Amino acid sequence: MRKKQKIVAALMLLVALHLAILLAGFIAPYNPATQNRDFPFVPPTRFHFADARGHFHLRPFIYQWTVRPEGFNEYEEARGREYPVQFFVRGPEYTIAGLVRSDVHLFGVEGPARIFLAGSDGFGRDQFSRIMYGGQISLAAGLLATGISLFLGLLVGCISGFYGSWIDESAMRLVELFLVLPWLYLLLAVRSFLPLHISPTQTFFLLVAVIGTIGWARPARLVRGIVLSAKGRKYVTASRGFGATDSYILRRHVLPHTYGVLLTQAALLVPQYIVAEVTLSFLGLGVSEPVSSWGNLLANLQQYNVLASYWWMFAPALALVIISLGYLKVANAIHERLQSDSI
Amino acid sequence: MKYLERRVIHGLLLLIGVSILCFALSAAAPGNFFDEMKLNPQISPSTVAGLRARYGFDQPLVWRYGHWVESVLRGEWGYSFAYNCPVRSLLLVRARNTLILTGLATLLAWLIAVPLGVWTANRRGRWDDRLSMASTSLLLSVPELVIALVLLYWAVRIHTLPVGGMASVDFGGLGVQAKLFDLALHLVVPVTTLVLASLPLLVRHIRASMIEVLQAPFVQAARAHGIGGARLLFRYALPAAANPLSSLLGLSVGALLSGSLLVEVITGWPGLGPLLLDAALARDIYVVVGAVMASTLFMIFGGILADILLVAVDPRVRLGKV
Amino acid sequence: MRIEETARHALKPALAKAAGLSKRYVQRAPFSYKSFVIDALVDVEFDIAPASLTALVGESGSGKSTLARCLAMLEKADRGEIWFEGKEVSRSSDRELKALRPKIQMVFQDSAGALNPGFTAAQIIAEPLEVQRRESGARLHSRACELMEEVGLSPNWADRRPLEFSGGQRQRLAIARAIALKPAFLILDESVSGLDLSTQAQILNLLLDLQKAHSLTYLLISHDLGLVGQIADFVAVMQQGKIVEQGPRREVFANPRHHHTRELLASVRLLRSNFRTAQAGGR
Repeated sequence: MRKKQKIVAALMLLVALHLAILLAGFIAPYNPATQNRDFPFVPPTRFHFADARGHFHLRPFIYQWTVRPEGFNEYEEARGREYPVQFFVRGPEYTIAGLVRSDVHLFGVEGPARIFLAGSDGFGRDQFSRIMYGGQISLAAGLLATGISLFLGLLVGCISGFYGSWIDESAMRLVELFLVLPWLYLLLAVRSFLPLHISPTQTFFLLVAVIGTIGWARPARLVRGIVLSAKGRKYVTASRGFGATDSYILRRHVLPHTYGVLLTQAALLVPQYIVAEVTLSFLGLGVSEPVSSWGNLLANLQQYNVLASYWWMFAPALALVIISLGYLKVANAIHERLQSDSI
Repeated sequence: MKYLERRVIHGLLLLIGVSILCFALSAAAPGNFFDEMKLNPQISPSTVAGLRARYGFDQPLVWRYGHWVESVLRGEWGYSFAYNCPVRSLLLVRARNTLILTGLATLLAWLIAVPLGVWTANRRGRWDDRLSMASTSLLLSVPELVIALVLLYWAVRIHTLPVGGMASVDFGGLGVQAKLFDLALHLVVPVTTLVLASLPLLVRHIRASMIEVLQAPFVQAARAHGIGGARLLFRYALPAAANPLSSLLGLSVGALLSGSLLVEVITGWPGLGPLLLDAALARDIYVVVGAVMASTLFMIFGGILADILLVAVDPRVRLGKV
Repeated sequence: MRIEETARHALKPALAKAAGLSKRYVQRAPFSYKSFVIDALVDVEFDIAPASLTALVGESGSGKSTLARCLAMLEKADRGEIWFEGKEVSRSSDRELKALRPKIQMVFQDSAGALNPGFTAAQIIAEPLEVQRRESGARLHSRACELMEEVGLSPNWADRRPLEFSGGQRQRLAIARAIALKPAFLILDESVSGLDLSTQAQILNLLLDLQKAHSLTYLLISHDLGLVGQIADFVAVMQQGKIVEQGPRREVFANPRHHHTRELLASVRLLRSNFRTAQAGGR
């Protein structure tokens, strides 16, 4: 019973995170590309309940940041005017999943103040909004690439396990080759053979294809093992005896056994692939500006002064860790469940 | 020893497979070094064509592959367009640096992971085991990239550690001891990153295989005979768990290599990683192939090393019974 | 009596027949030139009369299961012919096989392994009908329920999964599935072995009832002559891939010609006398 609750909790967390990122437009207060050159590297906004005169406010409020007179990129709160945090405010227009258009945002403050939940970057863009939108790219890359890997793995594993002989032999050699290679080296190598200067959309799909193609080996091997053992079952022989075709046997008797493994693999691969996308973008081989992804957001930290002075630029890393943790919990839970089922 | 022979042959075949894969991919992908060059208005098209012909890019893939194999046999490992020298001279230094980093990280990670895994397996379910499991599962979801960045931030903050690179500016003028100390200081951030990144998986695997062994009848029997404590854990149980662990060692080398690429780039360690990244950006494909081959070679050596260790620890393997 | 029985079947041509059937398994060890050769079938000549019950007896490893799988077209013999309803079928095309399969059905020994644990009872029984496109939709389910009733299982259990049934009930499920396509020839590979005596008897009774109702022909494979030998019309004895003795049951029992048959018979008698003594002692 406790185990079940754990799965449910982890799943809920993941669903909430994905939903939030899908609804980035609504949750993020600003357009991720809007620059605010007067406010580069603004620290995260502080929330207050008590104002300068000691009055308590039920609704939290913020002060606007102003540049400290003597410092460079250093800010202090302008205590002159309070800006209460408002919910469901109108702001810049956005679309959700390319379908719903709206301009209502979850929260915001009245202008000219701006609310920077996770500070701002060198162009004064709201980092929280950039993380939300960047999450769309990173998550989509992870999910799509996982889809590709699982599809390829399922395909190769099924054919290899079901038809055996030389097909199996050669497929498994190839699997070993892919398993033993350091994936990042391979990823870089493959990426290096692809054109560098292409549109962000093309880059994104190329990236997904490359990441997805590299990770097919482990699912393929696991699926093959399951197909092999399922194929040897008596009920498969019996099914042949009724005149069942290969495709019927695969569909009805073999594939259902692979779902558990595919699910576990998915939960393991998605965070890995999100990290792969982040890594490539971080290294400048992935999604590039002005489109944001967690990778190129983190790439800001490659500049020494950013790393040393602006701790809030680590915020995308936190998002990455939370997502990874959620997937890991789910993967563990599914794995435990499968093991207790098989006994 | 026949077993090791087979491993070596297997490794060679793997290398050949990797090189073919690299060449096939490079042929499948559109564009090459010279296409980028064509975009540069300062280089005349005829020069580009001349270069193309000189490096055999107007020849079919099989010819190029044959040419490359020949150059490998001559010890050149192909030619770098960007650096204008044989790839081998680039690779040797970089590979040595990567080897220092990953070798040290592997050693440290295992030195920490084995006692920790064995201990927590023995203390299964108690508070220290739970603490270790909770922290490993947290660490498991922090990517190397983030670990490296956080450590780098820490290094920047405390000011005593060098940030990036492999040696200080005045390295050349230092004595041997001072040189080693300087190297060690530069190693702190990258090695710690790699150790932290590989530790959770190692501890978990070691713990899992130890738990399995500790439940085996012979361990129970040893306990019944009054053998207990560290002697039971390390002399009786651990060798029995060596077999799955040796394959883990092989795999952990691979994971470390991938991790080290990133860590090298972030911390500016002059290993294979930055070389590969630059080559990838410049589309200097023989360098790319060379770096991938070198990393594969490390993996194979890692695997063989693991086997040798296994032979040393597990008498069943020595006698050819597994 | 012996003459009568032989005459009853001799007039009709054999339903299934094997002629010169041979099968050899070669297993090669990895990384080695050595290989193991097992001759599972050696020139097997075998007749099965229509509407009869033939018992095929032999020790484990004597090749009876291989013969069964060859007759059921689940495996191809190396040499020899298989005749079914007067036609040579061992080299049938895939399409011919698909038409032939419904007529020859097999029930396996290990009922737990022969039934997909993820299917419900109704799905299991309906599978052959689905594969052969005999029924579809709701009819599929109702036909499955009818078949369950026919083998003595309550249709209320249609949604249970195999592991929720007892061994004997699972065997009934397997039988229901095998007769779903209204076959002419049913091969029962050790179908009653591994069950306790009373369940064995119940299943055999069910088989006999079904035989009467559908004029089925049975090939009943067993490693001992016990219960099976008692109800068979014909008995064939296999040893090391060869059929060493074959004939009407009474003839074989009264006058075994091959020493292996005699050994098998002796063990049956020994068991039975032990069983009787035990019963007598118990009372």
